[in-house]
Amino acid sequence: MILGISWLVWLIALPLMGFFILLFIPARAKNALRWGALLTSLLTFGAALGMLAQFQVGNPALQQVVRLPWVRIGDLTIEFYLGVDGLSLLLVLLTAFLTPIAILSTWSAVEEGVKGFMLFFLLLESGMLGVFLALDLVLFYIFWEFTLVPMIFLIGVWGGERRIYAAVKFFLFTMFGSVLMLLGILYLGLQTRTFAWDALLQQREVFAAAQVWLFLAFGLAFAIKVPMFPLHTWLPDAHVEAPTAGSVILAGILLKMGAYGFLRFNLPLFPQATLQLAPWMAALAVVGILYGAAVAFAQQDVKKLVAYSSVSHLGFVVLGTFALTAQGLEGAVLQMINHGLSTGALFLIVGMLYERRHTRQMSAFGGIWKVMPVLGALSLIVTLSSLGLPGLNGFVGEFTILLGAFRSAVLASPWFAGLATLGVILAAIYLLTMFEKVFLGPVRHEENRRLPDLNGREILTLAPIILLIFWIGLYPQPFLDLIHPSAERLVALVQSVALAAH
Amino acid sequence: MSLSDLMMVLPIAFTLVWALVLLLIDLWLPRERQGILALLTALGLAVALGLDLAQSGRSGSAFRDMVVLDNFAVFLNALYLISGLIALALGYDYLKRMEMERGEFYALLLFSIAGMMLLTQANHLILVFLALEFLSIPLYVLAGFARPRLESEEAALKYFLLGAFSSAFVLYGIALVFGATANASLTGVIEAVRSGSAEVGFLTAGAVMLLVGFGFKVAAVPFHEWAPDVYQGSPTPVTGFMAVATKAAGFAVLMRIFLNLFPGLATSLTPIFWGIAALTMIVGNLLALAQSNIKRLLAYSSIANAGYLLMAFVPYGNAQVAGQAISSMLFYLLAYGLTTFGAWAVVVALEQAEGRGLTLEDYAGLGPKYPWLGVTMLIFMLSLTGVPLTLGFWGKFFLFRTAVAAGYVDLAIIGLLTSVISAYYYLRIVVIMYMRAGEPRVRRDGWLNLVAIGTAAAVVLLSVVPVQMLELTARAVLHLP
Amino acid sequence: MLQDYLPLFVILVVGFAVALIAVLLGMLFGPRRPTPRKAAPYESGIVPYGPGRRRMSIRFYLVAVLFILFDVEVVFVIFWAAAARQLGWLGFLAMLVFLIVLEVAHVYAWKKGALEWD
Repeated sequence: MILGISWLVWLIALPLMGFFILLFIPARAKNALRWGALLTSLLTFGAALGMLAQFQVGNPALQQVVRLPWVRIGDLTIEFYLGVDGLSLLLVLLTAFLTPIAILSTWSAVEEGVKGFMLFFLLLESGMLGVFLALDLVLFYIFWEFTLVPMIFLIGVWGGERRIYAAVKFFLFTMFGSVLMLLGILYLGLQTRTFAWDALLQQREVFAAAQVWLFLAFGLAFAIKVPMFPLHTWLPDAHVEAPTAGSVILAGILLKMGAYGFLRFNLPLFPQATLQLAPWMAALAVVGILYGAAVAFAQQDVKKLVAYSSVSHLGFVVLGTFALTAQGLEGAVLQMINHGLSTGALFLIVGMLYERRHTRQMSAFGGIWKVMPVLGALSLIVTLSSLGLPGLNGFVGEFTILLGAFRSAVLASPWFAGLATLGVILAAIYLLTMFEKVFLGPVRHEENRRLPDLNGREILTLAPIILLIFWIGLYPQPFLDLIHPSAERLVALVQSVALAAH
Repeated sequence: MSLSDLMMVLPIAFTLVWALVLLLIDLWLPRERQGILALLTALGLAVALGLDLAQSGRSGSAFRDMVVLDNFAVFLNALYLISGLIALALGYDYLKRMEMERGEFYALLLFSIAGMMLLTQANHLILVFLALEFLSIPLYVLAGFARPRLESEEAALKYFLLGAFSSAFVLYGIALVFGATANASLTGVIEAVRSGSAEVGFLTAGAVMLLVGFGFKVAAVPFHEWAPDVYQGSPTPVTGFMAVATKAAGFAVLMRIFLNLFPGLATSLTPIFWGIAALTMIVGNLLALAQSNIKRLLAYSSIANAGYLLMAFVPYGNAQVAGQAISSMLFYLLAYGLTTFGAWAVVVALEQAEGRGLTLEDYAGLGPKYPWLGVTMLIFMLSLTGVPLTLGFWGKFFLFRTAVAAGYVDLAIIGLLTSVISAYYYLRIVVIMYMRAGEPRVRRDGWLNLVAIGTAAAVVLLSVVPVQMLELTARAVLHLP
Repeated sequence: MLQDYLPLFVILVVGFAVALIAVLLGMLFGPRRPTPRKAAPYESGIVPYGPGRRRMSIRFYLVAVLFILFDVEVVFVIFWAAAARQLGWLGFLAMLVFLIVLEVAHVYAWKKGALEWD
């Protein structure tokens, strides 16, 4: 808390303040704009650390709550209601952590329209943090929708060749999902006379009858965002066309908003529907894992490969979520963080290659390790982390999820976990193939012989991620401790209904 | 008649007298000094606005119950008068550079506004008809103001023919209601309905006829055919005025008539309203997808918005949500009005002589080239889409809340899904503005910039305090006789 | 309620019937011996000359409109005049307002040159 204002408010306000300051810096002063944005995001990360310092580990409840009435319509109040618990804490930290890294990665990649880029980036950060912190449904929706606007600009203005198609597709898909969520929110509010998350939790019985519909209304929005199997088609387009920083944020954080939505809203608010639909969701997740992996294997474009691997990895998150065991949930949250780190880093690496060669076709590379040993070594670590090598972060998350899914009483079948394990093997195949094609073997192309290795700034962008990859991989306990109490409580919330039903 | 009677219609009377005076001044004013007329008109509108706002909180009826005064009327009168001021600002430079500055423009604008105010305050069906004609006829002329451009003449003729057609429906509806109740005063009709002496069959038929007639005025599907052609052909400031003020007047009289007069018919009329609202939202948004001319696109967008507004009518017989319906409709009108006027201001800024500068392609590169104008247009498009942190979002939020509260989840779903469709064409403008290279030609004009930036600021800033706005509209209740 | 309209309905039916019967009877029983002169348009007994369609000067329409404006509105005044005493000063005032508006229109038309032929 600074100046008597909660860290949570600072988290949302700081990027906005940076936005307004940057607004008055002339567009010519590119470096001033870059430094301004970087500094703002670093300050925001500082605020996130402040929030972490104040967080009481072991307390499953919502903490550091900020609650102000905002819009009062009759007896219905929309509140400015923020709070954090074990489910959202790490995601907030991840957001604040990845944003400065993403900004750093644009230093030389974005030369045109630096001002607009940085402005939209800061708006995006504020919106994403709002999504993870908001506890009032309408406020959540506002932040949720708001992240769309900067993102379509980041893709549509600074993206690749088919950027407009990708941006519009992204916008329409997400908007389609979220309008039905808005309807669900309205329905909930009118039934219970409140939009506050915990008050709704108290009154679950009031809307118990419409649970399945509400689950689907919310679930569609989240499933599109995650994205789950049949709804994923916007993702490869958006990823391939987005600029590197956009991809990092898209894969690292925006996708997590969907998975987080399931955890925060669908599970606790609609427990019966969750129990009822969990096997279906888990089945879709498993299909997503295998499908994403299979399609990733077929890609020639490195970025597309990484994009499809996201579909596969996020499938694990959904599987862990709908295993409805404490382990599954913990694993899901941790996997979100892991995926944010390793896929974010993969996109950064792809971006670095692209900046040097202006192509992403695997056939254009080969033997890069010999030319760029630093990049090669770092890429190896990231690739191994992404495919879940024990000792690195990916393993911890996936293993916990699989364990949770295997023991799940709700799924009640070893097939889910069994098939998902196949996904881990497939990940090893396609990621190692990719690594082999790009980095190993002889240098096949003349243009590749004189590629400069990473400079100091680029190493600085990757280093913090690598550090965390090792930390989570070797000593995940502090992270799990942060998640555990809230995950436990969430499972209890859902299971209590199951017990009551029997 | 007494002085207190006159006080009830003071803004109307003042506007009329002012219009007559302007008409005379114009006759002796040299052609090159027409700017004075615009300033005088603005002055008159401002005075009328002051007179109107001074009446807030008062209510009652006058001229033997021919007109009523309530906060509903005060609110809407203010809306018309402000619309007039904005239309004036849009036209100030436009009329000169398109070489159509004629003094009648100002008088006709004032006449039309006076008609709208009278329509909103009318408490007698004959007066409703009179006011309807009174607001329409000046608009027919204004639509053709860009003569001798063929499009404009076509617009005027089309508007006139279909307007006359719709007036006939209104008149027939009035006759049927009169036949059913032996009364044309709203108070008398309500009395007849209450005492059970009314012929329900005739009354329903009359109500439907009135709905059809006013459906033309607000451009609801299937009575919307005229709108795109008229909006395209009319001088752009007039189009903006029609899209906001005329539509608001149509909805105002629909509100007063249906909420006051026919709540008893709700069971038979609700399905009709439901169908019209759903059709208007679907057809308006779908047809907008295919447009390549910005004026036509905005015309279809305004048709679609009429559909959203009609959603507020569907539960009109439900007394529990009637208050909500009025306030959310007025809120939406306000949000729509601000946004739409802003968008039209941008259109005026880009329009060139002979109807050039009006295709979507002419907007390519607007964003980077003219950051301020680009950002304002971006805000308007987002607000029309209903993206949060704009007034448009809250407008849709409150409207959908009313629909859901009244139990029309199906209608709300249609509304939400069509707003996803609308996202496509609004987004297309944004995409063209920011993601395509081009050399847009923009007219620099202080008044235009003032309107564009002012409305954009209002759309964003007021969205932070939506509840104060909603309270304002919630106070605008109908006078119930 | 609806019975009140019965006479109206009867008149409507009878009116249509009479017209229809008259035409039908003529068609059925009337002799038909057409000559060119009979087939020519009827112009009050004068032999028709020239083409049937002629351009009229637009000014005639303007005059017609002005005639309607100023002549028909006078009809309104006659009714007021008949009841002027009963209506009193208030009625007088109302008529004055009406006439002022009319006069503004008159001045406008005059000044715009609507009353001049060329």
